[in-house]
Amino acid sequence: MQIERDTRGAELGPNQYEDAEGYIAPLPAGSGPRTNPLGEFPTGPAVGELLPDVVASASDGRTVDIHQDRNGQPVVLVFTRSVVW
Amino acid sequence: MENFEAAGAKVYVLSYDEAEAMADYRAAHNANFTMLSDPNSDVIRSFGILNTLIAEDDHPWYGIPYPGVYITDADGVIIEKFFENNFTVRPGPEQLLAALKGEEVLLKERTGVDAKVTVEVEFEGDTLPVGLSRQIVARFSVPEGIHIYDEPVPEGLVAASIEVDELSEGILSYTPVTPPTRSMTLSGDGHTLEVYEGDVVLRLPVAQNGRAIEKDDDGRWVSISGRVQWQACDSEACALPEEKRFNFRVPAAFAVLGDMGPGEGRVPAMNGAAHFKEMMTRRQTQG
Repeated sequence: MQIERDTRGAELGPNQYEDAEGYIAPLPAGSGPRTNPLGEFPTGPAVGELLPDVVASASDGRTVDIHQDRNGQPVVLVFTRSVVW
Repeated sequence: MENFEAAGAKVYVLSYDEAEAMADYRAAHNANFTMLSDPNSDVIRSFGILNTLIAEDDHPWYGIPYPGVYITDADGVIIEKFFENNFTVRPGPEQLLAALKGEEVLLKERTGVDAKVTVEVEFEGDTLPVGLSRQIVARFSVPEGIHIYDEPVPEGLVAASIEVDELSEGILSYTPVTPPTRSMTLSGDGHTLEVYEGDVVLRLPVAQNGRAIEKDDDGRWVSISGRVQWQACDSEACALPEEKRFNFRVPAAFAVLGDMGPGEGRVPAMNGAAHFKEMMTRRQTQG
């Protein structure tokens, strides 16, 4: 799938760039964290598939394996860009 | 968060930040959910959602995912996922909870022969922060023998939909959430249309980009206006198209973002600038 980056937007002033939907940020659309895809883009496993294994370190250092840790409960798994910026 | 616990679900938030950065965030926001650190983007890659539009040497941005949410059932099977093209907006908790619980349809007693379609419209939330989408929900009650339509409809027919006014500057709408339809073939020309019957709930996620916030003595507000449209037909004829307007004025709350600043009193410092610098250094010196 050939994905294009969405560079639509305008510069409003120093460190003020709006994107195609009018959200304003310090970087222009299509750069850095604002590299949004235009059109279709991969969204991972499909609805109906088993959630792939996730084994990672939690914020307190322990290793978490989601399918074990959830203990038979449903899961909400959020992939976010960053909790720092 | 209590709502997710009450729904019996476990919430995980994963990003490429280091564990220490996540620990600071967790403490600052009193977060209840498990935060998972994926600093080399291994999990992100395994899901196939690494943002490959970003160059490998574009630090610190390389390694981020196309952001989204997966909801599973009790067996760990994905039942819904939320991904939008604009990464500034993310789905509000109401949408995630609705996916977990499944849409609850209340079946009402049907009374009266000449009952008509009624609709209730509400904004599912108390506030609209920038970057969070919340839904406008239209609950239709369609009497037996009557139906309304899903797109596409032939010229002259109006499909059921929720629309935000174009003049509602600063308000954006995203992919509508609609229930399954029934296929109905018109005997006349064999045309097949998709119809909704009974209790029908349409949902339109909306967000605001911050450009239309109104300030007054009571605070900051944002107005969301628009209309719900539909056209009711029975097996023989159609009524005139109908609409119900809505205008919601909700507080434009502050978004809960990663904060690189010194903290503003209501949120303690998360050492954002220090963590950011560390991320840059680590990525630039990594092989």
